[in-house]
Amino acid sequence: MIADMREAFQAALAGVLGREVEISEPVLLAGGASKEAWAVDADGERLLVRRAAVGVIHRHTLSLRHEFEVLQAAYEAGVKVPRPVMYIEDLDGREAFVMERLEGETIGRRIVQRPELEAARAALPLQLAEELAKVHAIPAERVPFLTGAAVERMVEELDEVGEPHPAIELGLWWLREHRPPPRPPVVSHGDYRIGNVVVDEHGLVGLLDWEFAHLDDPVRDLSFGLVRAWRFGVDAKRLGGIGDVEPYLERYNELTGFGVRLEELDYWELAGNVAWAIGCLTQAQRHLSGLDRSVELAILGRLGAEVEYEICSLLEKAAA
Amino acid sequence: MSDRPTAQELTEAIEEFLAGEILPTLSDHRLRFRLLVAMNALGIVHRELATLPAEDDAGQRELARRIRAGDVPPGTLGRVKADVEARLLVASPRYLERYR
Repeated sequence: MIADMREAFQAALAGVLGREVEISEPVLLAGGASKEAWAVDADGERLLVRRAAVGVIHRHTLSLRHEFEVLQAAYEAGVKVPRPVMYIEDLDGREAFVMERLEGETIGRRIVQRPELEAARAALPLQLAEELAKVHAIPAERVPFLTGAAVERMVEELDEVGEPHPAIELGLWWLREHRPPPRPPVVSHGDYRIGNVVVDEHGLVGLLDWEFAHLDDPVRDLSFGLVRAWRFGVDAKRLGGIGDVEPYLERYNELTGFGVRLEELDYWELAGNVAWAIGCLTQAQRHLSGLDRSVELAILGRLGAEVEYEICSLLEKAAA
Repeated sequence: MSDRPTAQELTEAIEEFLAGEILPTLSDHRLRFRLLVAMNALGIVHRELATLPAEDDAGQRELARRIRAGDVPPGTLGRVKADVEARLLVASPRYLERYR
């Protein structure tokens, strides 16, 4: 299989570049039922290849072609992202795209805890605000295939799981009852948090994982990184376990002029928790349905109770 | 309570992982033998769990349905939170310390 992949990469890259390239042995970094990630070097250049897996695509994620186009749009807009290299219709029978393989740390727990990343954590809140402002300024016409999202979509996903979860229902009920006046939708990353960024000792290197990109209220992206699960154990730092929210919000407002108020973040922080609580259940379903058998996915079905507890705590605060 | 995966489903997942991903990597005979014994023990747990009656989640379904319909009387949040806490004491007891 690996030998075949090397030949497949060689042929695809040579075809697009119009010349022969020297390819390293591809290394599979991540498998799974929906996407593969391969590390490969071409003429010494560090590349990452995202390739479709068995052909099963999550209903609400972008196709690889569209994810690549969003990445291109972000790159053109000056957002820190891996340089997009090319889309490949057929890489050994499946679609794929190639991008630069950034150097740095991506593991959330390490980003929030490693002593050598102390300076990075100090720089990250403002850097995250600045990059998000750039993402939200990408013209929607540039990515016309992106669609909107709504609270109703979360209800649909919960119904597909088919299990009773009163805590999630309470969260959804509160979100319906307290919906803020909608802001004009912007191009949104959709999963903007520690765990989807590359960080080195100076701070932010690049934004990864654009498969959930869509059009939405800008405050959704702005608040998603506040979700407790994405603080990786450093709960006291509300912004992703790395810092305070206020300077981050202030810098974002300076750059966008959107004038987002701190209270608005509370609503979308709860929405982010509800989305992740449902996400845990749908991940467990991938195991239970036989699509992608794995203990890691299975146990998320139970760890979702942590997120449900956080939903209850946030609702208590909101009621107080 | 109606938690998925059930305890039985979790043992299945672990059995598959051990048989599919760990066993093939073991070359040490003694370790292979001990893993096979452990998998046998896990099989006993799995089959014993299969003999238990399925948990009744009718109460949870009714509560979820009523909240969905907007019927949320005072005290609902407290009741729901207590239930989540009980589930966490099984699934992830140390998590609760983070709120103290």
